[in-house]
Amino acid sequence: MLLVPLLHLIQNVADSAGVTTSPWTGWVRGLPSLGRPAASGAPWSVGLYGLELLDPLATLGLLAARSFSWSWLLGAVPAVVLVVFLGRYFCGWICPYALVVGASNAARSLLAKLGVRTYDLKVPPATAYGVLLILLLATAVTGQQVASLFYPPAVIGRALGKVILFGSAGAGAVFIGALFLFDTFVSRAGFCRSFCPGGAVFRLLSIPSPVKVVRHAPACTNCGACDVVCNFAQSPMTDRLDQDCERCGKCVAVCPTDALGLVLIGGGKKSPGART
Amino acid sequence: MKWGKWDRRRVLSAVLGLFSFSALTAGLRVRRASAEWLRPPGALPPGDFEAACIRCFRCAEVCPPQCIRFDAWLPPAEADTPFVVPADRACTLCMACTEVCPTGALGRIERQPDLIALVVKMGHPELSKDRCLAWNGKGNCHLCHDVCPYRNQAVTLSGDRPRPEFHPSLCVGCGLCEEACPVDDQAIRIRPLSEKTKAPS
Repeated sequence: MLLVPLLHLIQNVADSAGVTTSPWTGWVRGLPSLGRPAASGAPWSVGLYGLELLDPLATLGLLAARSFSWSWLLGAVPAVVLVVFLGRYFCGWICPYALVVGASNAARSLLAKLGVRTYDLKVPPATAYGVLLILLLATAVTGQQVASLFYPPAVIGRALGKVILFGSAGAGAVFIGALFLFDTFVSRAGFCRSFCPGGAVFRLLSIPSPVKVVRHAPACTNCGACDVVCNFAQSPMTDRLDQDCERCGKCVAVCPTDALGLVLIGGGKKSPGART
Repeated sequence: MKWGKWDRRRVLSAVLGLFSFSALTAGLRVRRASAEWLRPPGALPPGDFEAACIRCFRCAEVCPPQCIRFDAWLPPAEADTPFVVPADRACTLCMACTEVCPTGALGRIERQPDLIALVVKMGHPELSKDRCLAWNGKGNCHLCHDVCPYRNQAVTLSGDRPRPEFHPSLCVGCGLCEEACPVDDQAIRIRPLSEKTKAPS
């Protein structure tokens, strides 16, 4: 899904070069024509060779506006199934805003080296449920899909499209820029952790997830590297992990003694610490 | 870190930074502004449309003439929803946007000219005979007739000195005539559908 914007870039370049008007149906010769562009959309809504994927938050918004279509529910099924199984993986692996979080973390460490003071405000993660509720209520009351204006994957998707097509990102860039400054100066990964409405949905859905970071205690030297690297204030070192864990695997990668692993729990076969 | 030293290099880079940031955020600029903006073809009636549009940008992405615009500098009700500004760039009635819309905010329409003529109603034409060069005698123009996908139906020429006449019931409102009109303040405008003139579906 991350590649989709790239595909569009190629598509757009091919278009402006006058190669064809419908590159993905005409350009990729071997594939059967679907009568529509074969790939379109950003993470918020994706069409890929006839498969329609919808962000669960988009489905919730559409339902909140008091109308119904089976295609909205069906579109959200793949994402829901994946999150129920893999946990909040979307935030760590798919969401384009993860790049902004990385940039703001880099800015934080740079500022620390320069001696500039930054804050790390810990807003309770449950605040995101409030944001989700307010946005869904606003959708229900006004009948307008407002959630997409405050949900970074949707905003970034549009902003990228605008940059490619029209050469300017518009207000979306201001929103993302403001979030970057917030994450940099006020609270580390603060928006994702405490305010993201889509994150709230994934947080709820990821509760039954059987994929977890597990510590093999004998190998652990209590160095604390994993706790430091985590954006979401999880503590693999003390086995304190909740549904905010986005399964990004940074703690696993940073562990000097390989004491951590992403493990499929259940079935009773794997003991904690067993490598997958 | 010392903040007091504003030498030439730092001032220049600050100006450059401000410039690139404003270029990034300025939003789209239309070549010729129009009083009103239209929804893409197949759009649900006002109200239903806003409830169904998740502002995903996919219609704009597949639009071959890139006539579908998303402006984020609008009130939340309309911010980043699709609009066509025909004076800037008009719709070519390819129906690609209706094929990709994931929520049905743009209802799917087959690419058949006869069907499109029946189903699509983006706006209705309004001709100002004062401004029209053929009517006010300042020219012999019939560009609107030439570019119309439904010429001799939606636009007809009549008289020994051909003058355009518009027939709203046969016009789909694509706006190609408005885009083509050479008058600065276009003589032909496609007006959005008000509640009263909503097309029967």
